[in-house]
Amino acid sequence: MNGGDRPGLAARQAALIEALVAGGPYPDGLDTARLDATRRALLRKRAGRVARAWPLLAAAHGTDWTRVFHARFDGVAPTDPVREGWDLARELRAAGTLPAAAASELAGREAAMRYDGRSAPRRRSRPAAALRRLLERSRG
Amino acid sequence: MASRPTGTGVGWRPEIASVLAGTAGLGFCEVIAESLDPAADLPAPLRSQAAGGTTVIPHGVHLSLGGTEPVDPARVTHLAACAAAVDAPIVSEHVAFVRAGGREAGHLLPLPRTRDALDVLAANIARTRTELDAELAVEPIAALFDWPEDEFTEAEFLTRLLDRTGALLLLDVANVHANAVNRGRDARADLDAMPLDRIAYCHVAGGARHDGYYHDTHTDPMPAPVLDLLAHLVQRCPTVPPVMLERDGRHPPAAALRAELAAIAAVTGHPAPHELPAGSERPGVGSRR
Repeated sequence: MNGGDRPGLAARQAALIEALVAGGPYPDGLDTARLDATRRALLRKRAGRVARAWPLLAAAHGTDWTRVFHARFDGVAPTDPVREGWDLARELRAAGTLPAAAASELAGREAAMRYDGRSAPRRRSRPAAALRRLLERSRG
Repeated sequence: MASRPTGTGVGWRPEIASVLAGTAGLGFCEVIAESLDPAADLPAPLRSQAAGGTTVIPHGVHLSLGGTEPVDPARVTHLAACAAAVDAPIVSEHVAFVRAGGREAGHLLPLPRTRDALDVLAANIARTRTELDAELAVEPIAALFDWPEDEFTEAEFLTRLLDRTGALLLLDVANVHANAVNRGRDARADLDAMPLDRIAYCHVAGGARHDGYYHDTHTDPMPAPVLDLLAHLVQRCPTVPPVMLERDGRHPPAAALRAELAAIAAVTGHPAPHELPAGSERPGVGSRR
């Protein structure tokens, strides 16, 4: 009950979240099978949020979406749904496995926003966005 | 201030707004506080529900009342503003934490049921209530695991928390079911031990099995054991509490959703929500948002 206990609780909570979403080791004394199930449940919810932010990316993968998302983000510290979908779409495009509908969704985002892969995407100025759209179209 | 929730309610979500606009007899609805912008207009269908006399309860999911850091004042202000915007008599949050060490879990996580955690919760609940005109109800969550440092059962922990803070109980019957099923315990015994005299209102929902456990995902029809457990609760309570359906995904057709509401009402004895005759939807609710 003394104040010295408080860091114990804070540290336990932080260690648990680190383990569940960012690949940290499971805290001592907890049931690993139950933590596995919890970790996957959190990933399903995270995949759902990314699917809402990137509907064509998720829809293009159909029933495979959860597997694709988990393969990329299990143990990877969360950023936000827009960035996570963006990262994944870019990686799939680079690997040549981005479905066409998802490619057009990505192109639309890249025309409107600038994303450096490390911080929140920023809206492009209007002339810059229009120019990118033109270039995209001419590339075709 | 709008009246306390009564009867049969539902979690208002944009995806089912049009179905709810065409449904009469809803006693109350709950809306995710973090989905509202109290500085702007409410979504038109929700505004119509409130204007039509349906009590609206803001339900927070990101306050992290169980986090060891003090609750974020901006989040408390937002929750209080949501309550003011819908004239809510009650707001609700969870007995859980969602962030720690600078990271977000993305969903509600269980606390160790210790005296230390009670201190943390009581302090954060007190901080939250300083800004709230509405009463606060707290909801125990569904969790797949327990902490080895637990000093209390869940019912003991909640009873202590409510006694100490004066908060009300939002009892999620489906969570009681899930927690019991996933630990091989008797859900009725777990429910009987809860501080039932503190109930403000109840949640029910349907879930799904993953990895060998039952998850309260709000994405499926209510399973029979959840309705059976609700019937047990009704028998245990001198006054039948208001009960609402939570549905957060794989939204069913209108008829199926209303059938779920009717099934809840059949168990509680509250009036059953029903479809409004064609053309008699409340004005303004036809707009898709």
